[in-house]
Amino acid sequence: MTDSPELRDPADSGPRAVRPGLRPVLAGLGLTELGKVYGRTPAQFAAEAVRLAVADAGLTLANVDGLLTSSGVTGGVSLDLQRELGLTDLRLLTHMQAYGSTAGSMVTYASLAVQSGMASVVACVFADSPLRPERGSGAIYGTRHAGSGWWGLLGASGVIGANPMYALAARRHMERYGTTSEQLGHIAVAQRAWAALNPAAQMREPITLADHQASRWIAEPFHLLDCCLVSNGGIAVLVTSAERAASMAQPPVHVLGWAQCHPGRYLRRNPDFGLVTGAATAGPAALAMAGVGVGDVDVAQLYDCYTFTVLVTLEDYGFCPKGEGGPFAASGVLGPGGKLMLNTGGGQLSGYYMWGMTPLSEAIIQARGHGGDRQSALHDIVLVSGNGGVLDHHATLVLGGPAAGP
Amino acid sequence: MTVGPVDRDQATAEFFDAAADGRFVLRRCPDGHHSEPAGAQCTTCGSTQLAWVPAAGGASLVSWAVVWSKPESGSEQVATVLVIGELDEGPWWWSRLEEADPARLAVGLRLKIAFRDGGAEAVPVFELAG
Repeated sequence: MTDSPELRDPADSGPRAVRPGLRPVLAGLGLTELGKVYGRTPAQFAAEAVRLAVADAGLTLANVDGLLTSSGVTGGVSLDLQRELGLTDLRLLTHMQAYGSTAGSMVTYASLAVQSGMASVVACVFADSPLRPERGSGAIYGTRHAGSGWWGLLGASGVIGANPMYALAARRHMERYGTTSEQLGHIAVAQRAWAALNPAAQMREPITLADHQASRWIAEPFHLLDCCLVSNGGIAVLVTSAERAASMAQPPVHVLGWAQCHPGRYLRRNPDFGLVTGAATAGPAALAMAGVGVGDVDVAQLYDCYTFTVLVTLEDYGFCPKGEGGPFAASGVLGPGGKLMLNTGGGQLSGYYMWGMTPLSEAIIQARGHGGDRQSALHDIVLVSGNGGVLDHHATLVLGGPAAGP
Repeated sequence: MTVGPVDRDQATAEFFDAAADGRFVLRRCPDGHHSEPAGAQCTTCGSTQLAWVPAAGGASLVSWAVVWSKPESGSEQVATVLVIGELDEGPWWWSRLEEADPARLAVGLRLKIAFRDGGAEAVPVFELAG
């Protein structure tokens, strides 16, 4: 995963290289009710989320000239959303899928569209509705593959769903670096403590390390409390230009840097498996585009399908040396009162599971300074990660609070 | 322990033909690089001139996960050990490891491919070697 020499210096192609008025800004955020919210389709959640984001920015739907849609495990969000919202004469409309990295990628493409003048107000939306009152969340993501071909063979031999695949990744990290379940538990406990301060979080009862250790095995080395929630709902954000954002309702959240990395080694021999992810490439690139270093980060919102995903991303972004994510997580830096403002809304482990929109939404809340009881005192530079597949797709965003324009 | 049913398709027909004879096959390019059976091109050099070749069936343990069935009243929870094995030819293979005590697993442990009846087709699994 080395940079190819043809690539320009990211600082030359990012928002800093653009006329200041066209620099991209996140100006709207819409969250529907999230969690065990039944009886609505993903398309309904998506439409509501976009309406909420538009209202949040002080706009009307008539101001929207770009729409990027994405859907989760149940599908159901499509280009039809344009018609449902009555959006006419759009200058940008695309459905996107990069799994857990989609949200970061949507903001990236919306920012490119805005800074090029292609569109001026782009709504990016994710919605999903997998929870049913009568069905456990494990049944949703553990669905058996269709019974034919290579996927059928994988399923036939028991390798089904995300839990075992991420467990294999985590175990490799443990064997290589000595990472322990208790160290992973510190991440779960810290995020639950943050969730207690977030009215939108699904799981707000505090937990202890002992609770984590006593929670049942899902796929060793993962206990139940190492695994994310499943949620119904939708989240939308609006990307616009700095000059347009100046007259909108919310403090501007600047999009300062972005990068992706897609290693492409799923189900292939991969010496990096479980040890190094695309975050190690995308993180430094996005920070360089923003003109900052990891030491400048005030708040980090890291994708947390599992506790382990947070741990390996902390290492890959350079918050601690490679292999030291476990001791770092256990060192007391996490949770309210800790030195590192990480996943301050509870994340997907305890807050709500909206794929990449979970870290992105909390990043916007923090960057604006709207975090209430959980607000970080410093919020000029906010780092956001998205992760999809089994550590196969990565998107990094670097956001700037109102005082941190490019 | 049983394996699930699986049906062949066009891409897997030759693999399952070999499996029916108890042979685990990989793909190999003219330069001798081995690729995972699902590869449509060589994962080392990109060649699309791939031939099916038998693998020795030996592997070393790369990583493992112990998946527990959901607890239900009246039934005992079942643990399944899933592993990544590095085949001696180089490619990795994901499957279950049968008859293994999870407490005794370690990176590099020697494994071997065995076949189980998966209904229409034979399904490769790992066993401990020796």
